[in-house]
Amino acid sequence: MKYDYTIKYRSENHYETPVFEAYWQFLVTPENNSTQKLITEKFTTSVNARIEESVNGLGFTTSRIHCKKPFKDIVFEAEFKLTKREVNPFDFTLPLDNSLDYELLSSLPFRVEFEAYLKNTALTILPKISEDLFKFEQSKSVFENCIALNTFIHNFITFKTGVTNTNTTLPTILENKEGVCQDYTHLMCAVARVNQVPARYVSGYLHQGDGFLGDMQMHAWTELYIPEIGWVGFDSTNNLVANHNHIKVAHGKDYNDCPPLKGIVYSSGNNFTKYTVEVNHQQ
Amino acid sequence: MIKNTANPIFSSYEKKDALYDEIFDENDEVRDVYKKLFELYSGLSSNDFGTLNEKAKATFFNQGITFQVYSDAKAQEKIFPFDLFPRIIDATEWETIEKGVLQRSKALNLFLHDVYHDKKIIKEGIVPLDLISSSSNYLQSMMGIDPPGGIYNHISGTDLIKHSDGHYYVLEDNIRCPSGVSYVMCNRNALKKALFGVFNHYDIHTVTDYAENLLEILESVKPNGVDIPTVVVITPGIYNSAYYEHSYLAKTIGIELVEGRDLFVENDFVYMKTISGPKRVDVIYRRIDDTFLDPLEFRSDSAIGVPGLFAAYKKGNVTIVNAPGTGVADDKAIYTYMPDIIKYYLDEEPILKNVHTYHCSREDDLKYVLENIDKLVIKPVDEAGGYGISIGNKLTKEEIKQVQEVIKKEPRKYIAQPIMSLSVHATFIEDENSFEQRHVDLRTFTLLGNQKDFVLKGGLTRVALKKGNLIVNSSQGGGSKDTWILKNK
Repeated sequence: MKYDYTIKYRSENHYETPVFEAYWQFLVTPENNSTQKLITEKFTTSVNARIEESVNGLGFTTSRIHCKKPFKDIVFEAEFKLTKREVNPFDFTLPLDNSLDYELLSSLPFRVEFEAYLKNTALTILPKISEDLFKFEQSKSVFENCIALNTFIHNFITFKTGVTNTNTTLPTILENKEGVCQDYTHLMCAVARVNQVPARYVSGYLHQGDGFLGDMQMHAWTELYIPEIGWVGFDSTNNLVANHNHIKVAHGKDYNDCPPLKGIVYSSGNNFTKYTVEVNHQQ
Repeated sequence: MIKNTANPIFSSYEKKDALYDEIFDENDEVRDVYKKLFELYSGLSSNDFGTLNEKAKATFFNQGITFQVYSDAKAQEKIFPFDLFPRIIDATEWETIEKGVLQRSKALNLFLHDVYHDKKIIKEGIVPLDLISSSSNYLQSMMGIDPPGGIYNHISGTDLIKHSDGHYYVLEDNIRCPSGVSYVMCNRNALKKALFGVFNHYDIHTVTDYAENLLEILESVKPNGVDIPTVVVITPGIYNSAYYEHSYLAKTIGIELVEGRDLFVENDFVYMKTISGPKRVDVIYRRIDDTFLDPLEFRSDSAIGVPGLFAAYKKGNVTIVNAPGTGVADDKAIYTYMPDIIKYYLDEEPILKNVHTYHCSREDDLKYVLENIDKLVIKPVDEAGGYGISIGNKLTKEEIKQVQEVIKKEPRKYIAQPIMSLSVHATFIEDENSFEQRHVDLRTFTLLGNQKDFVLKGGLTRVALKKGNLIVNSSQGGGSKDTWILKNK
């Protein structure tokens, strides 16, 4: 079955004093992969600046605006249409002998190949005392352990907005056990990595039902590399294996590799930023 | 004291037997290559040298060849002290050095290609994974990129010393933004001004051909499809300690010196703002660190970079020299694997020796280091410029304890090497108004391009001016000498 989606991303920035030169780089375009295909994209800005498409260091599509004329307000809007294929996350056969998979995970060539997604970053480093937070059971398959971990993280953190931000590190999250999607994802990545499973932070959109408007944000989930299966998405915020409602934009080691907006602004004074996301599904 | 005191300027020259003296052999005879020079200098009194020394210093001041010391809060512009007694290296000895440093640069280039592609050397367990994954200079964004001509470390600076056994040892390979080459050329100039007569008696290689070779190398790695490339040097600006060198190089090569704000990126091409409109830039010789290159890709607080530069590089529309991410191979911990790296990629024996290194990340080594600090030099793995180095036999008991604590906290961050005894060279000491022994090292400059390579026949001989001091970096109060490479007779 195929699903058609329309995604609207809108960001507004207001500056107290005029901005004379600025660069914005958006990382909001859905990627093309085996389950999703981008059909059209449309960008508009309020400042009449050209929008350039480019790629970032990890190969994901970015949209960049370079404003050369002074302004105080800027609105950027993007609209994407894409189709998504039904994903059955359980469409594979589990291995008969789990030990081979664990052997693979700990083998040197494997650890070298996935080095980037096995190492800790400032946002995904577990304090020493929490390294045994969740131990994989060698009697179960890697996939089963990942499912269990997903549920564990989901239950460990209580969803609460406004208590964390994108710089919040794991000690704070482990202590308060509260946060939003990026906190679930950072913890999930960290725990998977100490269990030798490559983990990447995914930034994207979540379709939460039609007509759902308003102050929606971008979503984050985790992809874990499972031997013989490949990368599988786990949304620990919702205790789900990623499905057709998860529209992927980019991945990286942690949030810092895929923020939706990077801005270099030559200005002084305060600024105010607001952004909204709307995901609609067409029958 | 040396027996031969016929030369008045050497009357108070104190020769320690344990050290390798570049000028006098073990029988206190002047070595062959220095004989003529020694004879010529005999005609001058120490007052003559005092006057010449003042004049040479004035030339450096007037040309603005100065630098700043970062650790000093009241940082002042200083000149890099220059010494009037050149260092001479004969043709055969140089041949080994030249082959050796070229071999290292080539091996490091292949290593860099490997760690940013298949990572074979790590998968085969020859270089530990940890050295790559824990290195802040290993850039994931560089994975799979093929720089033009396949070159990463276009410009390498290799630091060598001569040990008391008379052999050269490599101390480190600098392949991020090695500096100092402008001093090589300025030192030659200054010595020619001060003592032009002595040059008539020696047949030595020129150093001025560095500029033309550097330009050729930079042009050889132009992006695909570019006919005659526009090459620029990018500097962090006038407050950088090496700003003089940046402007000197731009001027001698004949290319533009730019700062980040002089460039911009449009549709993944890099342009330079000029009075006649934007001009496309094809090759950038950067003298700014990786993480400051592009605030949209790396550190967003970088005010000296060019937004969008990395994307243009990734698309192959501009070449960055040296390539971003080369720092992973000039980590001091990688240095210790150089003999293996050379064997692995070139199937050759290393021509130049490595100093034995203890990795504090290894348990056995850590134990040895903690017990023998007084016999070792402790270095942080990722600091440049001689910062954070402790020399074991110069520490008090209290300080040794502190160093032990620091190492125990983060063993991966430190390596240790036996205290090498750097060779000494006669150096004019202002306060004494005479020549004394001082420790020296040698920095060589190697260029790699597309189907072309070049080793500067000369180098920067750095002198530790403080008596007995082993650290020769300019930022730690070192000076330098003109370095002569003799032509084959």
